[in-house]
Amino acid sequence: MRRMSFLYMLFLGSIAACTPVTAKVFLRVEPSPLPPADKTGIHDVVLLWPLRNLSAGAKLRSQGYRVFLQCESKDLAAAAVAADRAAFSGMIVTNTVTTGQTPVVEQLRPYIAAHKSLTFRVLVPGGKQPQMKGRLVVERDGVLQVSNPSSQPWLDTNLALVRLAQSMDPESPPILYDFHWDTSEALPDVWHPDAEAYAVSIAEADATRSDVAIDLPAPLQRALVANDPRAWTLWKAIMPYLDLSSQAPTERTVPVVNLGVIVDDAQASYEATNLMARHNLAFESVRPSGLTLAHLKSWNSVVVFCPLNKEAVALLRNFAATGGIVIFVNTHDEFPWHSAPPLRQDPRITVYSIGTGQVVELAEPVVDPEHFARDLRRLIGRERSALALWNSLTTLVTGYHEQSRPDVTLYLVNYAAQPDNVQVQVKGHFTRVRLESPEEPCCVSLPFVERGGFTEFIIPRLRITARVHLDAARESSAAP
Amino acid sequence: MLWLKCAALASLTLAMLAVPSILCAPQKSSFVHQKRYAMGTVFEIVIYDEDLPHADAAARAALDEVVRLDGIMSNYKPESDLSRMNRTAHFQPVRISRELYELIEESLFYSRHSDGQFDVSVGPLVDLWKAALVGGALPTAADQASAVRCVGYQKIELIPPDRIQFNSDCMRLDLGAIGKGYAVDRAVEILNHRDIHRAYIDAGGSTIYALGAAPGGNAWRVRLRDPSRKLDPEVMLINNSVSTSEQSAPGSLQGDAPGHIILPGTGKPLQTRYTISVTAPSATASDALSTTLLLLGPTKGAALAKALHNVSAIWIDSDGQRTLAGDGVSFLLTGENRPIHVSPLKNRVTAISKTAKEFLP
Repeated sequence: MRRMSFLYMLFLGSIAACTPVTAKVFLRVEPSPLPPADKTGIHDVVLLWPLRNLSAGAKLRSQGYRVFLQCESKDLAAAAVAADRAAFSGMIVTNTVTTGQTPVVEQLRPYIAAHKSLTFRVLVPGGKQPQMKGRLVVERDGVLQVSNPSSQPWLDTNLALVRLAQSMDPESPPILYDFHWDTSEALPDVWHPDAEAYAVSIAEADATRSDVAIDLPAPLQRALVANDPRAWTLWKAIMPYLDLSSQAPTERTVPVVNLGVIVDDAQASYEATNLMARHNLAFESVRPSGLTLAHLKSWNSVVVFCPLNKEAVALLRNFAATGGIVIFVNTHDEFPWHSAPPLRQDPRITVYSIGTGQVVELAEPVVDPEHFARDLRRLIGRERSALALWNSLTTLVTGYHEQSRPDVTLYLVNYAAQPDNVQVQVKGHFTRVRLESPEEPCCVSLPFVERGGFTEFIIPRLRITARVHLDAARESSAAP
Repeated sequence: MLWLKCAALASLTLAMLAVPSILCAPQKSSFVHQKRYAMGTVFEIVIYDEDLPHADAAARAALDEVVRLDGIMSNYKPESDLSRMNRTAHFQPVRISRELYELIEESLFYSRHSDGQFDVSVGPLVDLWKAALVGGALPTAADQASAVRCVGYQKIELIPPDRIQFNSDCMRLDLGAIGKGYAVDRAVEILNHRDIHRAYIDAGGSTIYALGAAPGGNAWRVRLRDPSRKLDPEVMLINNSVSTSEQSAPGSLQGDAPGHIILPGTGKPLQTRYTISVTAPSATASDALSTTLLLLGPTKGAALAKALHNVSAIWIDSDGQRTLAGDGVSFLLTGENRPIHVSPLKNRVTAISKTAKEFLP
């Protein structure tokens, strides 16, 4: 049931994502005064249903905000009527999982039809505060515990959540997720979260090309309204990140990937894909029914987490025969290549050589996602990686290009929120590499070298986020 | 380019648990917890103190010091003191920072006492193998031989008070097996100067220092890495340190992943089934000794551990076979049928290091 719920929610998120994209950052606020939009740099705010006084929304609208009302699916009928009457911009729907077997799109359709002025968005569940975590946590009773068995920095990212949600409907606009701030270690008289936490959250949404709903704590909201200088010092430190995010390219883009992940159970494969994201494996996920030859042409490696039909198996066999790597996880199926002796076999793993590629069959599920992701990175190797960072264990990189143009834009997020020297390797030849960041308005040219089919450059001081524009040769004269 | 590569790639080293039996639950507001990324891992400090702003400032200052040391000792930051030295110290003396000089001097101590098994000049070999660790081809025998030629602590010449010269044309130092411990000690020094009495400093789990005792108890109870999952070893720390080392596991997909710990003599990754934990009065000592004793193995390593003072070591293999040595802190094996305290041999005396002299009899 839980597995179904998770899938269902991802599916729901993708359906609702077919509605127009309105914002990158939604600020969830109290129904009380807020400084005007031109001072906060925020355009979209979210109020929670039930809302006793709709005039709070009207006031926010008068201050330049688009106002969204967030409600649970069971309250959608009443909330949508109220939002429509109050001339809100849209609805954000949560907890749609308990609605039984009726397809969610069918559930939403009457409301979309009845409230044409409202935009409907569905919150994808499972978001978490993006942050670099350590090993230690202090439990409520004050006892120190180890939270994480890895000596490497543990990044809580939402990239896997986004990628899995996108796999449900690859044509959809950005999905919307949220999270709640971790306040367990807040100190008295200190703003929590701090500016860096907001900045990382904004930057991550930018890098995943998704929308995020962020809570504005009530004390901070009140302090901003009261013109508290400390509050405004904090907020002014956040605004450059909002500015950068708002200037992100709006064209439909395609992620730069070399690894495909085939899933039909997002929850079961979540931790493995989460660690792939953390290790900067450039991947996209698809459902088995969505697997196409076009996908395989943009990949050189595939991880399969679910059973496949004969057609998909045939596609993957051809993929391996022409040099691809295919890894089946927890598979016990019979495959055509089993007629030949394996290259290597032990109780947990069997490896077949097919043409110039190989098929790796793991007999068990992924029990150590961290180890699996590291091994996968090794198996794929740098020469097959579309994107790679050297060192920079706290930095996430994503890349996108427009469907019809080879120019690439990279998005980097440093979760450690302290300057790092980041060495980047991107597959392909580019004529210009330009850096854009809150500290370096667009754009600063970066020196780069070409080596073995890759373009390499260094971001000398990545603090929290940066975009890097790589202009392909044939586009260089037309690039902005 | 990987700074403190050993630390970054080691995994599942230590787990820490201050259990209620020794740790009365303090109020939630009585501690600060800060973390900072440095040296390829996350340094964390937990301080229990009634004056939280004071504790917060102390933790910040200690972590600032760690980051500063990373700036000096990083071998992937081209502007670091270490990188500059690695570029310029061949056949001519160059001036280096006090901290770098001090740490290299201490490293040479461990090199001499381990017959070169611990050797910070292993840099060319680490660089050679790291490509294979991330999916590149394994280095050829010729490559290995060429890199081995560059290794040898005897070719490092320290010229007091602050200069160094490499008597080799291709030597590069890598402080990955000792740098984190040194940084922890410097952080502890700062906390001491700021009158912090109860703190726990964790460098990515592989090196831990316990300052004072846990609140409500008389020590910090630390659970150690156990590849067998049979022994559940623990150690009680108070004003001392524990470090754990193990070779990185082979890859599950390819099975031929080289380990990150390289034998300086052969130029090949160490092959061992052991995980080792070492306690010592300083984090620098425990960090260096954990690698040294892992490289030496339980037979030769036990001989060295027994010759040291205030040091304990426990080697554990995946079957639960264990070897203990040293006269330091006792280990508690809670996974045995009857939990037992294991106290290694006593009455062994020798110097650990220059900075550890205060712990000598």
